[in-house]
Amino acid sequence: MTLAQYQLAEQLEQALGNPHQVESLMSFQRTAELDEAEQFPHDEIAWLYSWGLQNYYIPTECGGKFTSFEEFVAFVRVLARRDLNISIAFTTLFWSFLTWMAGSDEQKQTLSQLMSEDHTAMCLAYSEREHGSDLVGGGVTATKVAGGYLLNGEKWPINRATISGVTYVLARTDPDGGNRGLSLFMVEKQYLEPSQYYNLPKIKTHGIRAADMSGIGFSDCFIPDRMLLGPEGHGLELGLKGFQITRALCAAFSQGAADTTMRTTLNFAVNRQLYGKTVIDMPHARRTLTNAFVDMLICDCVNIGAARGFHVATDQFSVWSAVDKYFVPVTLEQVMKETSVVLGSRFYMRDEHDSGVFQKALRDSAIISMFDGSSVVNLHALILQRRQLAKARLRIRQKPDQLAALKVRLAQSFSLDQSLPPFEPNRLELFSRGADDVMQGLESTLADLEAWQGSGQSMSSQPVNQAVLSQVIELGKVILEEINAQDALITQSAFEHGHDQSFESFELAKQYCHLHAAIACILMWMHNRNHEDMQGFFAEGEWLVLSLHRLLSRFRRSLTPPPSTYYENVAQELLQLHQADKMFSIVPFQLAQRSRAPAIAAPCLVT
Amino acid sequence: MQQLQNPSASEPLTQPTPVSKIQSWLVDQLADVLSLDPTTIDVKQPLTRYGLDSIDAVTLVGDLEDWLDLELPSTLLWDYPSIEKAAAHMVEEFDVTL
Ligand SMILES: Cc1cc2nc3c(=O)[nH]c(=O)nc-3n(C[C@H](O)[C@H](O)[C@H](O)COP(=O)(O)OP(=O)(O)OC[C@H]3O[C@@H](n4cnc5c(N)ncnc54)[C@H](O)[C@@H]3O)c2cc1C
Repeated sequence: MTLAQYQLAEQLEQALGNPHQVESLMSFQRTAELDEAEQFPHDEIAWLYSWGLQNYYIPTECGGKFTSFEEFVAFVRVLARRDLNISIAFTTLFWSFLTWMAGSDEQKQTLSQLMSEDHTAMCLAYSEREHGSDLVGGGVTATKVAGGYLLNGEKWPINRATISGVTYVLARTDPDGGNRGLSLFMVEKQYLEPSQYYNLPKIKTHGIRAADMSGIGFSDCFIPDRMLLGPEGHGLELGLKGFQITRALCAAFSQGAADTTMRTTLNFAVNRQLYGKTVIDMPHARRTLTNAFVDMLICDCVNIGAARGFHVATDQFSVWSAVDKYFVPVTLEQVMKETSVVLGSRFYMRDEHDSGVFQKALRDSAIISMFDGSSVVNLHALILQRRQLAKARLRIRQKPDQLAALKVRLAQSFSLDQSLPPFEPNRLELFSRGADDVMQGLESTLADLEAWQGSGQSMSSQPVNQAVLSQVIELGKVILEEINAQDALITQSAFEHGHDQSFESFELAKQYCHLHAAIACILMWMHNRNHEDMQGFFAEGEWLVLSLHRLLSRFRRSLTPPPSTYYENVAQELLQLHQADKMFSIVPFQLAQRSRAPAIAAPCLVT
Repeated sequence: MQQLQNPSASEPLTQPTPVSKIQSWLVDQLADVLSLDPTTIDVKQPLTRYGLDSIDAVTLVGDLEDWLDLELPSTLLWDYPSIEKAAAHMVEEFDVTL
C-alpha cells in the first residue's frame, strides 16, 4: 500500500495477528470468552497501550502522533473487526479531542502525559438517567466555591465510567444561564476525595457485554478550578462541537464489524456444499453478498470522505457528521441483516463457526447507531439546517468564485493522495451556514464528467470506460433532479423549529443522506481513479454504477438495471479480497494472514 | 436602505431604528415559529421562556444572517438571550445595514 495513511493500520494488523487463529491476541475465540464472561478486556487494552496506539489519539503539536482522521478511521477498523468492545473501550480516548479543542496549554500537556505515559483512559459523562439526549435539561450541578466547584448528581449510563482516570463531566454552573449555564470539566479522578464520588453498578447489556457500562455519582465533590475546560458557560457549545468529531468516527466501528460479518459469511459460503454446489455459486447468495459489498463500498466513500473532510471543510461538520453518523451505521446494520441470510442458522449461534463471531458483531454493533447521538438525533440536526442548505445551494450557483473554491476543497477532501492540513478543532461551527460542499458540488462534478465523455478527458490520464461514464452521468442527473425537487419542497413548505418536526421531515432528511452518499461515491471515484493503488477494480468504476443504482432505487423504481457483468465483476473482487485477506474497502489494505508461527506475543512499540 | 452611523441616538422616535427593526423582526419570527400572538412576546424576557431551545436559537441566528446578509456568531442568542439584548448587541457590534 503506497498510501501512507493506511500503513499504520497495516502494521497494527500484523502485530495483532489473524483473529481466526486462537493464539492471536484478540482472536475471535478470546473475545467471545470475554463476552461470555462479561469481563473487561484489561490485558488487551494494556497491550494496545504498550504498542503505543494511544499516541495516535494525541495531535502532534501536543506531543502525540495523530495527523489525520483518515489514518484514524483505518486503524479503528482494524480494532473493530476483531472486537467492538475492545475498540470502543480503547477509543473512548477520542474524547480527548475536547481537550485538544478547548483546553489550556497546561491541560493539554497534562492530558498528553496521562495518556501517553500513565496509560490513562477517559469517559464522557453527559447522559443522565432522567435526561438522555436532552443535554440542556441535565440535573448535575457544579456550584462555585472558593478555588473550585462542588459537583452534585449522577451520570448514567456511561461507558468506562468506572475504569477510567479522566471523566469529562457536563454540569450546570448557572441555574438561570440557559444554554450558557452549562460547563465542561476535565475531571482527573486521582485528585478527588474518594468519599465524595461513587461508581454505579455495571449495567448488563445486549452487546459489548464485556464493557464497563456503569455510571458515576458526585456528592458535594470538590474539583479545583483548573479542571474547568474552556470558559465557564461554554459546556454545551463544546459538547456539541465535540460530538461532531466523535460521531463521524463512530462510523468506523460499524465498518469494522461489517467487515467481519462479511468475512465469516464468506468463510462459510465458499466452502459449504449443497445440492452439489457451493453456496456462493447460488445466484441468490451471490447477489446478496455482492449487494452487501457494494453497500460497504458506499459507506467507505462517505466515511473516508468525511474523515478527510474534517481537515478541509471543518466548518461544515454539523452537516457532514450528521450524514455520516446516520448513514453508515444504519446502512451497515442492514448489510449485516442481509448477510446473515446467507450464513443461515450459524448467524444465531454463540459457539459455532468462527467462535460465533457473527452474532456477537451483530449484537455489539447494534449500539453504534444509538449512542453518541442516535440516528434520530442526527437526522434532527440535519432537519434544522435543511432550509439553509437549500437556500445556500441556490445562492452559490450565482457565485463562480465561491464555486471554484468549493471545487478545490472537494478535490482535497476526496483525493487520497493529496496531503491534508492539520485538523483545527476551533474551526468547528454549531451550524454550517447552509454549506455542504458535497451536495453543492454536484453540478460542477457532473460538468467535469461530461467533459470526460468522448475524447475530452483533460483531467484524466487513464482512459475512462465510456459505458461506465455515461451510466454515472445518467444516474448523477437523477441525483440532481431529486435534490432539486427536495430543495423546492423544503423552501416552499412551512419551517418548523425545535422538536415538533414531522415524521415526513425525518424521511426527507434520510433521503438527503442517501443523495449526499451517492455524490460522495462519484467524487471518490473521480478523484482517485488515476492513483496507482486504485487501478483495476476501483478505477474501472462498475462498482460505482451499482452503488448509484442501489442508492437511487429508493427514489426511482424505473431505473435501467445495470449490466449483469458488473455484478459478477464486483462479486469476483469480493471473493478475491476474501481470499487474499484484504479489507473489504475501496482501499483494500492487507490484513493479517494465517500463519504457522504464533502471533507476536510481546508488544513492539511503533516508532 | 440606509447605512447605519450611530445606532441609538439622533433618529426621530417615529422612525424605526435598526434596533427596533431587529426587535420586531425577531418578534415576528418567534411568533411565527412558536405559533404565538406577537403582542404577547415581551422583548425583555429570555427566549427560552417561549420554548425556544438551544438548537432553535442557533438556527434563528442563521435566519438573522440571511436577512441581514451578515455573518454573526452562532451562539449570539445564547449569549444575548432576550430579543432586547440581542438587538442592542447586534447594532453595537456589527455593521448592520437596514
Ligand atoms: C451502550 C451505551 C453506551 C453509552 N455510553 C455513553 C457515554 O459514554 N456517555 C454518555 O454520556 N452517554 C452514554 N450513553 C447514553 C446514550 O447516549 C443515551 O442513552 C442517549 O443520549 C439517549 O438517551 P435515552 O436513551 O435516555 O433516550 P431519550 O433521550 O430519553 O430519548 C427517547 C426517545 O425520544 C426520541 N428523541 C430523542 N431526541 C429526539 C430528537 N432530537 N428528535 C426526534 N426524536 C427524538 C427518540 O425516539 C429517542 O429514542 C450510552 C448508552 C448506551 C446504551
